[in-house]
Amino acid sequence: MEPLTRMAQRKRRGRFSGLSVYLWILPSLLLIVAIIFVPVFELFRTSFSEVTRSGLVKGWNDFQNYLDLFREENLLLVLRNTLVWTVVVVGVATVLSMGIALLLNRRFFGRRVVRSVIIFPWATSLIITASVWKWIFDYNYGTLNLILKFFHLIGANVYWLAQPSSSFPVLLWAGIFDTIPFTTIVILAGLQSIPDVLYESADIDGAGGYRKFAHITLPMLKQPLTVCTVLNIIYVFNSFPIIWTITRGDPLNQTDTVVTYLYKLAFQVNKMGQAASISVLSFLFLLFFSILYVTLTQERKK
Amino acid sequence: MDMLKRRILHVLKYLGALLILGVFSFPYLIMILTSLKNRTEIFAIPPTFFPKVWQFQNFVDMWAKVPLAQYMSNSFVIATCATSITLVCAIPAAYALARMKFRGLNAYMYLVLVTQMFSPIVLLVGLFRVMGWFGLVDTIAGLIIVNAAFNQAFAVWILKGYFSTIPYELEQSAWIDGCNRVQGLFRVLLPLSAPGLITALIFVFIAAWNEFTFALTIISTEAYKPLTVGIYAFFGKYDVQWQYLFAVSIVATVPVIALFLGIEKHLASGLTSGAVKE
Repeated sequence: MEPLTRMAQRKRRGRFSGLSVYLWILPSLLLIVAIIFVPVFELFRTSFSEVTRSGLVKGWNDFQNYLDLFREENLLLVLRNTLVWTVVVVGVATVLSMGIALLLNRRFFGRRVVRSVIIFPWATSLIITASVWKWIFDYNYGTLNLILKFFHLIGANVYWLAQPSSSFPVLLWAGIFDTIPFTTIVILAGLQSIPDVLYESADIDGAGGYRKFAHITLPMLKQPLTVCTVLNIIYVFNSFPIIWTITRGDPLNQTDTVVTYLYKLAFQVNKMGQAASISVLSFLFLLFFSILYVTLTQERKK
Repeated sequence: MDMLKRRILHVLKYLGALLILGVFSFPYLIMILTSLKNRTEIFAIPPTFFPKVWQFQNFVDMWAKVPLAQYMSNSFVIATCATSITLVCAIPAAYALARMKFRGLNAYMYLVLVTQMFSPIVLLVGLFRVMGWFGLVDTIAGLIIVNAAFNQAFAVWILKGYFSTIPYELEQSAWIDGCNRVQGLFRVLLPLSAPGLITALIFVFIAAWNEFTFALTIISTEAYKPLTVGIYAFFGKYDVQWQYLFAVSIVATVPVIALFLGIEKHLASGLTSGAVKE
């Protein structure tokens, strides 16, 4: 740095020293603390307290909310659904996105159009996309049954959304569809940052397509893949609108995940305490991934 | 042999592109076609693929079916105010992260990063109670402040990224010309960071425009509902007015997609906190 600017900087630092520097982050900090951290605190407090039916929070109640929660008969089912939902949606979406990103990384006529269309589900409100899927999978009037019948793949209409054995896969598909855009864009950004030189020297060594993928592409994508997987786990776990629009978690909690279940506990059957306790457990689970994410992203910079 | 292999790959590439194009435009195509059918045709057995009668009238009638103009203006107010608050708070914070060093700044940065991972749904119970304390349940102000808070992390992060790419020397020479830090920020740094600013602005606007879960929870008065919650009215008790639902959806989505395509290039780095290079 030039001596002159260093002098100028020292001068400024003098003027902006002391507590006034904190003014720069104060508005942001206040917003985050008041609207995110205070609710976190209130959530924990509610989970450890007796809550009256009118919503009044009384004192400490010896983990009663947690014990009640564990006695809910559908809890295990809901947890299993959540696990399947998160793992399948993130897993399948990542594999498909990898394929799509590899394709989009090549030159071809119409690439911009494909790239734009991929973005649609990301820009559209989740409840709108979910509504369309609900309509497409409709028993009587849905487009899917129409098409399948047209090609004689089914004889009679299929009740896609009536029983969990087929409605849960429909939810998974809607989830995968909505997860692909973000994942593809992140992987594509990663692919574009791989220097061509690496592939050129692999060509000289006579490496084939598969070996180039396994020994150059994948290792170079480690960082973006890890980051988008961790982020997707958090996003997909938290995803509420898709399930709420298509099945509402019905019938009888059969297609509920933790977030739709906690919504029902809190705002439909008035079990605030139990809703708070399952939220706390989810929060701790997500916090673990958040910390993992922060560690991973900050590591690279050192 | 090599020639043949290249040919096959070439064909596969286009087949793949067509498949992706087909799958990803399919629901939107169905949305458009359904929005142009009349009620009789929607509930016809067997169903039709293309409308027999193109019912453009749906796009006129939808305004009278629900207080659509009210929902839209609510969504617009919520998204605009939330975006303004987010940026007013995020710009100085991002500036501090990019240009200054003081005790606690790192702690703040980690705090922001971690909140990027929180969503209103898991905090819903706590959030609902806190909104109650402030008298914000069933108000548009409540939606504004929550959207502003939950998008803070993204805005701070993308702005910090942009600020860091602009040489500090430019501001420093402005100081020598007599500007102070705040003037330097407004006259030098912000104009140069316009792409980052626009990206943050559009992204936060869209996120607030599309937000559903929290709005569903705290808003019960018809006049305060944003579009996402309002269109739930088309899901009636016994049937769904699909044609209007999709007509409204199209009107609500087209401008958003257009905005989104404009900023899409910058999103990967903002959302992954700079962990992915562009």
